[in-house]
Amino acid sequence: MRTTLAVCVVAFGLLLGAGPAVAHHAFTAEFDASKPLKMTGTVTKFEWTNPHAWFYIDVKDDSGTVTNWGFEMNSPNMLLRNGWTRNSLKPGDVISVEAFGARDGSHIGNAKAVTMTSTGQKLLAAPAQN
Amino acid sequence: MGFLAGAAKRLQFPVIAVAMMFVMAGAARAQWLSLPLPGTPRTPDGKPNLTAPTPRTADGKPDLSGIWHADENVENIAAEGVDVPMLPSAAALYKQRQATLGQDKPQLHCLPHGVPDAMLVANLPFKFIQTPRETVILYEEFNQYRQIFTDGRKLPEDPNPAWFGYSVAKWEGDTFVVDVAGFKEGTWLDNAGHPHTEALHITERYRRPNFGNLELEVTVDDPQAYSKPWKSRMIHFKLFPDTEMLEHLCENEKDAQHLGFK
Repeated sequence: MRTTLAVCVVAFGLLLGAGPAVAHHAFTAEFDASKPLKMTGTVTKFEWTNPHAWFYIDVKDDSGTVTNWGFEMNSPNMLLRNGWTRNSLKPGDVISVEAFGARDGSHIGNAKAVTMTSTGQKLLAAPAQN
Repeated sequence: MGFLAGAAKRLQFPVIAVAMMFVMAGAARAQWLSLPLPGTPRTPDGKPNLTAPTPRTADGKPDLSGIWHADENVENIAAEGVDVPMLPSAAALYKQRQATLGQDKPQLHCLPHGVPDAMLVANLPFKFIQTPRETVILYEEFNQYRQIFTDGRKLPEDPNPAWFGYSVAKWEGDTFVVDVAGFKEGTWLDNAGHPHTEALHITERYRRPNFGNLELEVTVDDPQAYSKPWKSRMIHFKLFPDTEMLEHLCENEKDAQHLGFK
């Protein structure tokens, strides 16, 4: 199952034409391309700011514990060119996220794609590579 | 007559394409992410013809104007298999930057990428505006710019060091040859971390082989970092047709704080 996810995430990188291994900004220092993440949660905050947009979600684990995760995306400009707007995510939206995890294991990730649970709409986040 | 109208005339812009523009303009999305730019040669279906001939200015020189981007990240400007002639001090700094996964690169603190690194991030646009006396490069990231003077002036002597240096250029045939010097130490030549000192002198050679492509070859000459001048690989840029630049100010850099910096 984990392998499948990893394969999917790698395929995404190829699809977007730029793998994380050649990422330009802090990716290699901050995130680990060998740590794919996939989780579902409720949006608590969306920061539409350069050089990277960030969103935060509350994720409940099997025991009912809620953890707030933060996800970095590309710049709002690159997201605009990928079909996003500043209103694409709102607090309360339930979404699933595909991402790469942090090297230090903290609760942040570098988002590859976001799927809106209510509609199934998928938005590519594009690697945060600048 | 405006600059763009002049360009359209030079290209003998077909009437049908003009009509197509108005049709497309109705469907243009919010902002200026997608809009038909005058002066763009088009195929019969109205799409930009990226293999059309190189546009030229009134004096017959290639016109490099347009919005460009690297279509993939150029991590390391050295050509495959080339041993960059680093002096020991440069080699040590390069090794340290590689070992720390680039966590001290300037852009993590909202400071500029170097020359040519500012153009080497995939899909990050930059705009050439070519006029007779100067060519301006607008870099979308962090709203930065360079002025490349073609009015015959010489490079300044002992200038105040600058992140993007000081640039003058001349044409050698269809190649736009830019001399850049007067750099502040600390920029990275590329994402791999090739370093330089204030003694850096860069020569950029730009060619626009057709409407949709721009090529760059860089010569790096820094006698305090490298034992001899060395040439980069050929770097390829693609035109971003029918779109516009967007503001990009560094307002919320968090990578540095996640990495433990202030």
